[in-house]
Amino acid sequence: MPIRSFTRSTDGRALAGVCAGIAQTLGVDVTLVRVVFALLALAGGAGIVLYLALWAWSASARPWWAILLLVFAGALLLGAIGISDRAVLGIMLVAAGLAVAWRQGRNLRIEAPLSYGGLALAGLGAIVLLEGGGAATRVLAPGAVAGALLLVCGPWLWRLAVERDEERAARIRTEERADVATRVHDSVLQTLTLIQRHAAEPRRVASLARRQERELRGWLYADQPIGDDSSSLVAALSAAAADVEELHGVRIELASAGDAPPDTALVLAAREAMTNAAKFAGVEEIDVYAEVGRDEAAVFVRDRGVGFDPAAVPDDRRGISHSIEDRLRRAGGTAIVTTRPGGGTEVELRLPR
Amino acid sequence: MKRRVVLVDDHGLFLAGVRAELGDAVEVVGDARSVAEAVPLIKEVDPDVVLLDVHLPDGSGDAIINAVAPERPGVKFLALSVSDAAEDVIAVIRAGARGYVTKTIAADELAAAIERVAQGDAVFSPRLAGFVLDAFRAGTEVGGDAELNELTPREREVLQLIARGYMYKEIASRLHLSVKTIESHVSSVLRKLQLSTRHELTRWATEHRLV
Repeated sequence: MPIRSFTRSTDGRALAGVCAGIAQTLGVDVTLVRVVFALLALAGGAGIVLYLALWAWSASARPWWAILLLVFAGALLLGAIGISDRAVLGIMLVAAGLAVAWRQGRNLRIEAPLSYGGLALAGLGAIVLLEGGGAATRVLAPGAVAGALLLVCGPWLWRLAVERDEERAARIRTEERADVATRVHDSVLQTLTLIQRHAAEPRRVASLARRQERELRGWLYADQPIGDDSSSLVAALSAAAADVEELHGVRIELASAGDAPPDTALVLAAREAMTNAAKFAGVEEIDVYAEVGRDEAAVFVRDRGVGFDPAAVPDDRRGISHSIEDRLRRAGGTAIVTTRPGGGTEVELRLPR
Repeated sequence: MKRRVVLVDDHGLFLAGVRAELGDAVEVVGDARSVAEAVPLIKEVDPDVVLLDVHLPDGSGDAIINAVAPERPGVKFLALSVSDAAEDVIAVIRAGARGYVTKTIAADELAAAIERVAQGDAVFSPRLAGFVLDAFRAGTEVGGDAELNELTPREREVLQLIARGYMYKEIASRLHLSVKTIESHVSSVLRKLQLSTRHELTRWATEHRLV
């Protein structure tokens, strides 16, 4: 903004200090500025008018007629270098129109209209130019008009595009937040409500919290949809373990090496074994390990509980044991139960692939 | 003598919980909530063991190990995490952690694990044993150092029993070996894990730009 910051200088002034002020503002020699003004003064007196305009402008009031004087100086200059009066008028109108449109355009909002007056002024100038110019202006004018339109509408279109992008980003953020909110509501908040209701039952609270933790972790880290236990053996075992945890208030640590498509017999037998351990072993924690090799899939369900004497099993227990063994045998695998009183129990399920 | 321990975890609640649970079993000499906080703290207090979360707001646990280990070779690291991702856990182990336990571990087991790590042994939770068996799964391996890239049948057996939830003592009596021998098998697995060039481990590391 050289004009704004420009003030007349009282140091080394010859007349009003306009030339000295310009020289100081631009950091050039004052003589050079005076030469330029002298040359401009030869161009139909444009330099003199310009000097007066700047003098007026540098007074604190910034009067509107100073701008008129500036325009007049420009017109004199253009006339002096041989451009016809009509063309000068056209150029002046275009310049004034663009200036007005730009002033509006700088703080343009979508809802605020462009300065139609400014545009109309510029358009009128263009018509005057086209009608009255020589052959050269007739060729150049359409390009100049197109450029002028771009100058005026460019910032407006740009702002429009930016605001649309911002809107889209905001909409995506809102949708994501809604998705997370739904998820949190359906799972975490429900669980917290349940926990408050069952605050007097530590085991139930623990199993609720653990199930919720498992679900949340599955969602956060594994990208695996909650409740989808049909995708793999480990996912199915994990879901079965979560069910048993919730039903019986135990903790089940599931480790695995390798994975395979789920096998119903294997998963159900493993679930049965987990349930047995949870009900009869009298421990809080059960270890489950699944290993899928090239030839077979194996699941181990182990507890460090009371164990039992296999020769003296109560009938109901024998039945469950058989259901595990029979199920695996029918599927072509084997089930081995290793236990002794006080020595914990391990159920070993193996199924060829 | 009580082991001097530093806790690194970004969850204040969890830090307080572990502090309370460990009680008098160890001496907690400091805690940190980020990589930036942890590195100078560990260098300054020079603890026996650092309990380390795998995920921190400004990086992962292995960044701390890499920054501290050259200057403080005596500090042992034990990873403690809720993360289910095998590659994250393996990355911390490969950076030099002596073991990995899940945050659901009981207080007395955690104290025992800290003691074991402080003595220079390795601590494999069932889940870590599963991850390692998965990474070293039988397969034809072309090139590389076979001794480092394969587990011996005995090591595999020990790891399988750990994964099944057996404790060292139980494994020892089952395999008719001494607990010391079991410990040395586990340490040897840890060494292989850190030095192996097996493609699964390398791939994990590359995917996570650790190489």
